Amino acid sequence: MKINFFPQLALLNLRKNSRVYTPYILASIGTIMMFYILGSMAFDEEGLSRTYGGIQMLAILRLGLIVVGLFSIIFLLYTNSFLIKRRKKELGLYNILGLGKRHLAKMMFFETLYVALISIIAGLLLGMLLSKLMFALLLRIVSFPVPLGFSVSSIGIIVTVLLFGAIYFLALLSNLVQVGKARPIELMRGSQYGEREPKTKWLLALIGVGTLGYGYYIAQTVEAPGQLIGMFFYAVILVIIGTYCLFTAGSIAVLKAMRRNKRFYYRTKNFTSVSGMLYRMKKNAVGLANICILSTMVLVMISTTVSLYIGIDDTVNSIHPAEVQMTMYGEDPSFMEKMNSALDTALTRTGLKEQRRVNYRHFGVSFGSFAKGNGYRSYTFLPLSHYNAIEGENLTLDEGEVIICGSFAGDSLAIEGTDFSAKVKEVRPDFSFADRYIEGATWHVVVKDLDEVYSELSAQIPDNVGDMTCIAGSELGQGAEAEQMLAEELRAALKEIGLAANISLRSEERSQLVSLYGGLLFLGIFLGALFSMATAMIIYYKQVTEGFEDKERFEIMQKVGMSLGEVKKTIRRQILIVFFLPLAAAVVHIAFAFKIITRMLNRLLISNVRLFALCTAATVLGFALVYTVVFALTARSYYKIVRTQAEAA
Amino acid sequence: MTLLEVRNLKKVYTTRFGGAKVQALANVSFSVEEGEYVAIMGESGSGKTTLLNIIASLDKPTSGEVLLRGVNIHGIKESQLAEFRRDNLGFVFQDFNLLDTFSVRDNIFLPLVLAGRPYREMEARLKPLAEKLEISDILNKFPYEISGGQKQRTAVARALITKPQIVLADEPTGALDSKSTDQLLRMFSEINREGQTILMVTHSLKAASHAGRVLFIKDGEVYHQIYRGAMSNEAMYQKISDTLTALTTRGYQA
Repeated sequence: MKINFFPQLALLNLRKNSRVYTPYILASIGTIMMFYILGSMAFDEEGLSRTYGGIQMLAILRLGLIVVGLFSIIFLLYTNSFLIKRRKKELGLYNILGLGKRHLAKMMFFETLYVALISIIAGLLLGMLLSKLMFALLLRIVSFPVPLGFSVSSIGIIVTVLLFGAIYFLALLSNLVQVGKARPIELMRGSQYGEREPKTKWLLALIGVGTLGYGYYIAQTVEAPGQLIGMFFYAVILVIIGTYCLFTAGSIAVLKAMRRNKRFYYRTKNFTSVSGMLYRMKKNAVGLANICILSTMVLVMISTTVSLYIGIDDTVNSIHPAEVQMTMYGEDPSFMEKMNSALDTALTRTGLKEQRRVNYRHFGVSFGSFAKGNGYRSYTFLPLSHYNAIEGENLTLDEGEVIICGSFAGDSLAIEGTDFSAKVKEVRPDFSFADRYIEGATWHVVVKDLDEVYSELSAQIPDNVGDMTCIAGSELGQGAEAEQMLAEELRAALKEIGLAANISLRSEERSQLVSLYGGLLFLGIFLGALFSMATAMIIYYKQVTEGFEDKERFEIMQKVGMSLGEVKKTIRRQILIVFFLPLAAAVVHIAFAFKIITRMLNRLLISNVRLFALCTAATVLGFALVYTVVFALTARSYYKIVRTQAEAA
Repeated sequence: MTLLEVRNLKKVYTTRFGGAKVQALANVSFSVEEGEYVAIMGESGSGKTTLLNIIASLDKPTSGEVLLRGVNIHGIKESQLAEFRRDNLGFVFQDFNLLDTFSVRDNIFLPLVLAGRPYREMEARLKPLAEKLEISDILNKFPYEISGGQKQRTAVARALITKPQIVLADEPTGALDSKSTDQLLRMFSEINREGQTILMVTHSLKAASHAGRVLFIKDGEVYHQIYRGAMSNEAMYQKISDTLTALTTRGYQA
């Protein structure tokens, strides 16, 4: 045989089977593109780690990369297995016509090689192009410095080539094993054997329920703040496993139960849908689970980053009580007085009028490690006078009484390791300046005499008691220029009285946060767009491949008396259920993830749960809209395939 | 009483770009009485399947009409056509056309489910039918688990369960072995004896020899017909064979 016979034959086969190979190659290219883009960002250590919060970003990106990598392996191997099933007849024919198994292997090797080369090269090129393009585009939309360079990443390329080379090698291997085992006549019948009714895999369904339930449980109950990221990762993996198991095994168990209910099943609208779905789920479960997981990622990504960005003002107000403020550390009771008088001096000299004076003196007592999360608890003590002034209240306390802000049960407060104990007069909502509020782990304790409590506690548990922090500042409400003026005079006034207080401006704090959260927002939008594209791609792939498989079924139904209208209705019902199931599941995932995400956001200095809830809801709605549009567009190509055949019959 | 009347059917296929025209049916007229068992014979390409598709309202004729109990079926609105087909016609195809996603039972129920009949009635109709067609014990199996003969008997059950006016069979023995063929033809005769009108298209001599009347189609026209009268299957077989030979040789001479 001529040397280039097999390469040519392989090329011819790909062209002949372009109807099945084109969507496969397109899907591969998209997957590779996505992986490369994510990889090039996740390995861009220089760009990211230089920025504030960059280390955490890198960790999140790498987690994303692992998820996308797993997703790629499952998706491509799964797609390949259906591809080879459809081609078995053709391979059997070659076998009968005189190509030995070794020749077939050679032919299939070249086919896989071509597919791999086309997909990987096109995927990498498009990935580089797209990342540049999206980067430039987003840079125009948002107006803050973005920490990522988007240069061509050599590590990204190497990792991508290695992973996908391995995936294609595995695909080839599994195809060779299948063809090698089978006799020609079995190959000839191969595509018919494929239509077995799916079995209910109870074990898998149970594992699915178990892992999903446990993942949800973790997300609901994790307390220790330091373990949040680790536990979140753990819960994510469990939920992913649960999603795959339930989509594959659980869906079939449910559909079979529906089929057993004769009154329900033998109705026109349920009859064809339920049985059709049984087979669709067998083939599509993994694809749908992929859609579900990608959708969840999009939703989490966008809703968190958007709410962080929108919530900047709330955040900055809670961590920076006054517009212009001075901070001193130390228990000296004269600090407050001195800072206030410096402020008065500066105000007189500048001629500025303040809206409000803010005085906030406090100290913290904490147990356990915040980073390790082993039973972390923290109490912040502040005097009643400051509390009343800040919150605009007029509360009173007797000796031995406290007010607690935060969620607290019980009517007395005791601090472990000390003989401190007080009667809880009242439990109030969160304190305005709760910069690091964690439900059930942080409390603000309002006391009558702060100095007394401080000396009592620091004498008994000096290691757990933090420095006394004194903050005095003004709320001006006259813009940045006035802030600068006041800060200038304040600096001079402090010098005169010889107080080394630290001056800070809220606007400066704010711009720092803008650049941090802006970077995160950019990343969120970028990844969200990327995953949305991947979702759209899978939906398109499913619609096209299924169209060809379903058309015969609908032809037969028309012959035995189903009208075109009924066919359309059945199709619509089926694909609606099939494609909106993942979205619904994604929304449930989000709902369960809400609590743990809120807690992780707490660490990033946000305590506005309502804002996050709103952002999540808006993101879900927006995404559902995009999803519907994608679905409607791709459904049209499905209808076209099914209907042209049906009408021709 | 005349059940089906076919008048001057003509069908011309035009290729997509309006190029060559192919005439599948030139001028076909015949009628079928109630309770008759009619076979239509002809070689491949003689227009048999086109004719059956038009009678089945799956295809529209270029001209001419098909009347079922005096009603022109091509005058029925597109939206009601499916219902008409479901209620009046039963189909048996060469390649069975069973849905692999349904069990044998559900395949048979399909037309009744589409008609919105209650489950109780479906079961009641299925029981005697399944016994007659000897498929009672495979009702829960799936098409890929049963033999060709069993598949075709399932298809016959599906055609009969709606109690159609007429059963249209397109080469029903085409994909069966000889044993299954004999069994199926025996059942067709039995069903016919019970009063079911059957119109079958075939090029199998054996299949045609079971019919009460055989029409021969050639070049899109009804060329000849044979009535069984009191003939046995064997005599009918011989007569059809002779006719076919005569037709073919005459064709070659011409």
